[in-house]
Amino acid sequence: MTELSPGVGVETDAETADVALAASGDGRAFERLYRAHVGRIHSLARRMAGPEVADDLTQDVFVRAWDKLGTFRGEAAFGSWLYRLAVNLILGKRQTRNSERVHFDAGASLETAPAMATEPELTLDFEDAIARLPDGARQVFVLHDVAGYKHEEIAALLGIVPGTSKSQLHHARMALRGYLER
Amino acid sequence: MRDQWSDQLSDYLDDELGRPEREALDAHLTGCVSCRVLLEELRRVHARAGMLRDEPPDRDLWPGISRKIAPAQARRALVFSVPQLLAAGVALMLVSGGTAWLAGRRGAPVVGPSAMLATPASKGEASYAAAIAQLEAALDAGRTSSALDSTTVRALEHSLATIDSAIQDARQALAADPASAYLNHHLADTMRRKLELLRQASALATART
Amino acid sequence: MLAVLAVFAFGQQTDTTVTVPPGTRLEVTNPSGNIVVKAWTQKNVRVHADHEAADLVQVTLEGTVLRVKTASRRTSPREVNYIISAPAGMALSLTGVKTDIDVDGSQAPVTIETVNGEVNCRGGSGLVSLKSVDGEIALQQAKGRIEISTVNDDISATDVSGELSASTVSGDIELRNVESASVEASTVSGEVTYAGSISDGGRYHFATHNGDVTFAVPEKANATISISTFNGDLDASFPVNVAGASKHRFTFSIGVATGRAARVEIETFNGDIKLRRPSELDEDDNE
Repeated sequence: MTELSPGVGVETDAETADVALAASGDGRAFERLYRAHVGRIHSLARRMAGPEVADDLTQDVFVRAWDKLGTFRGEAAFGSWLYRLAVNLILGKRQTRNSERVHFDAGASLETAPAMATEPELTLDFEDAIARLPDGARQVFVLHDVAGYKHEEIAALLGIVPGTSKSQLHHARMALRGYLER
Repeated sequence: MRDQWSDQLSDYLDDELGRPEREALDAHLTGCVSCRVLLEELRRVHARAGMLRDEPPDRDLWPGISRKIAPAQARRALVFSVPQLLAAGVALMLVSGGTAWLAGRRGAPVVGPSAMLATPASKGEASYAAAIAQLEAALDAGRTSSALDSTTVRALEHSLATIDSAIQDARQALAADPASAYLNHHLADTMRRKLELLRQASALATART
Repeated sequence: MLAVLAVFAFGQQTDTTVTVPPGTRLEVTNPSGNIVVKAWTQKNVRVHADHEAADLVQVTLEGTVLRVKTASRRTSPREVNYIISAPAGMALSLTGVKTDIDVDGSQAPVTIETVNGEVNCRGGSGLVSLKSVDGEIALQQAKGRIEISTVNDDISATDVSGELSASTVSGDIELRNVESASVEASTVSGEVTYAGSISDGGRYHFATHNGDVTFAVPEKANATISISTFNGDLDASFPVNVAGASKHRFTFSIGVATGRAARVEIETFNGDIKLRRPSELDEDDNE
């Protein structure tokens, strides 16, 4: 299992108890878990799939987590388990969504990313720049540099080879260099 | 700027290069300012990604989630829960997935068998029986109305019998050793599988009516 | 004249080729018969179906979904046998009831659901979800997130990589040449066999009630292995040093038990747990 960034996967005794309570049907315990983790999950959904669908995806993640709580065996922290479930769900939805197609060829769109605007209100910040990356590069970047997955895992999740994952990561980083200060 | 060296810089940063490639790039970096600058920029992008803040959504999504899990919440309240005990200051819970790890992890004392077989267990078993009865009724309705063909019915009945036999084995073993975390976990898992199978079967029955 | 009528009364073929835009997904619904989808190098989709005259094959392109559906003037259609040629990169969603489903050469997500029918899938990438109730499922050469579930038959997965979960009730599960850091395999009455990677940090869980679990342990694996059984024996072909033991459960480590060691959990109630080296597994097979 990939180790996630510091701060993730730290579970308190209260949370452990809430997981057990929620698994036996306690909705209020599950709400506490929701409140503790919704920020991370929503941010993941927004970065992987876009702000328009992030709310729906976040809801789907928690509904599925509720359904699957019985399979959570506690080897990892609940937050890690939930994050992984979210990644799988978001990628699964990607494959059934008609509205977008994942590009894994090195597209010209990265090379022609908008030049830095001079008007402050048009300036993209780093998060906006991530959102403007082509699908494939954005997903690899989020999974690798934000979520800490390794290329082999990313390749398996996305149905590509590790070499493509590495190449897409490099393209993403190159495109994002110009937005570091924002 | 793209060349054979710059294209490798991300792999270099992530320690993905083999030793010969890494050494070659080390040597190149010694003499190439633009690559060193680029490497530093890539390092900063990577670091910046690690510092991104997680923000909650603009609106509270809980009401929507709560509505969707409400029917399952009612069902789960009916589902068995393996003998539970909440001792003051120590949570020792064996729930449907089997969380005997919790006891081991915390070093909590295992409570004696009589406490574990107290009211919560009986309540759990009664609720489980009620859920099973509901689902079996749905399956019967599908069976008698010919919504399910005979081959499917036979397959489902065979597997249900398999699970029932496994549940009986586990119960007999547990009767002789009621404090066994492993046996409680195994019984819980097998009972849950029966519920899942019955849900699947009743969904098939209702889908085809 | 009589011969011509006989042809229409007892058999008919539909054969049509459809041009589809890139990114189109294929959905086939066939309640009874076969669905065979083979990958080809062309960009369009060819649908060939053998069916009776009273049954109709509907092929419609709606946005980015190509729908192939069996319709009938009867209350329930007779068997329709589809052979479909589609681009390898086309996502597939194939559904039936009394339907055997066969996929060959896909390099895209594959979702298959049938009730009384076998599933054979060679290929698949991304989400690969194969479900039946009364039917064997066999998967080869797939990668991604793999979910396989049947109730009353066996499961086999060979040459696959990615997250893998396999579940049946009455049937064996055989997983060979698997490359994965997350494997979950469970049956109630049946044997479980695993011969694949044990990756650092990986999680592996194998469970059955009545049946043996055979687990191939590569020489260089690093893992903490926990075994639970009520009425079974541990049969290991190499020495193991038990670290922790309770009445029905014991734990031991192999390799270097660091924080990155894999965690393996094996459970059986009435059945043995057999630990072998991968080469010995082949010998066992030949016995």
